Amino acid sequence: MTVGTVILTVFLGFVFGWTLDKAGLTKYHKIVNVFRFTDLSVLKYMLSAVVVGMIGIWALKGLGLLDLTGTVNTYIAGNFLGGILFGVGMAAAGF
Amino acid sequence: MKNPLKQEEWSPYVAGAGLGLVAVLSLLLANQLPGSSGAFQNLAAFVAKPLFPDNFFFNYLMPPAITWQVWLLLGVFLGAMASAMLAGVWKLDPNPDPQWKAVFGPQVWKRWVMAFIGGVILEFAAGIAGGCTSGLAISGSVQLAPAAFLFIPGMFIGGIPVAMLIYGKRY
Repeated sequence: MTVGTVILTVFLGFVFGWTLDKAGLTKYHKIVNVFRFTDLSVLKYMLSAVVVGMIGIWALKGLGLLDLTGTVNTYIAGNFLGGILFGVGMAAAGF
Repeated sequence: MKNPLKQEEWSPYVAGAGLGLVAVLSLLLANQLPGSSGAFQNLAAFVAKPLFPDNFFFNYLMPPAITWQVWLLLGVFLGAMASAMLAGVWKLDPNPDPQWKAVFGPQVWKRWVMAFIGGVILEFAAGIAGGCTSGLAISGSVQLAPAAFLFIPGMFIGGIPVAMLIYGKRY
């Protein structure tokens, strides 16, 4: 990786971390309460990111400015069962 | 109106849109998508590979490396810290969240043990699933990868019963 890529990446991470903190997702109660349906910040944050990211990425793909070669692999049992166990850990740890 | 940089919280919709922009720029400029669980695994490999030299996972799947995600994780740490510092709410505090104390009591060690066990389960599960809330749920969804739409319902199927168990009547 070039120095430029590292600086860019740390900057992108900086914005990511900044938004996580501003959405309150660095707090235990925000994470656990999404599973109690008393505070949906996690879902609002995630779905807002998905909507903006999806529109941006597919628009740029449509314009031929980027390609989606590195798509996340799908393997049904792993993704689903891993997801269930992930939820268990997330509700227990609150991170 | 207060300077938004100094506000403790923003609407989660606005904050989420910020991450959406990060995802677009990551793919456009670095041909990567945000994720974090992989970075922890590559970093853990620096300890795990010497301990288990024949281990398949730490040799071939997640070898010790400073990857793109590791740099991103460094940025996440700094960004979240800067956000809390500018808002004037940053502090080093080992004490659990008030909501945690109401359920488990004030003991600090309980919080740390639970955070550790939960963290182990979470990271192990991310290894099975192929990502976490960011790398699989969000980065997968924006690509319309089926994996993400299997992972997200799974997350709630796993998380809801555990929250019910922990909170009992208070659920």
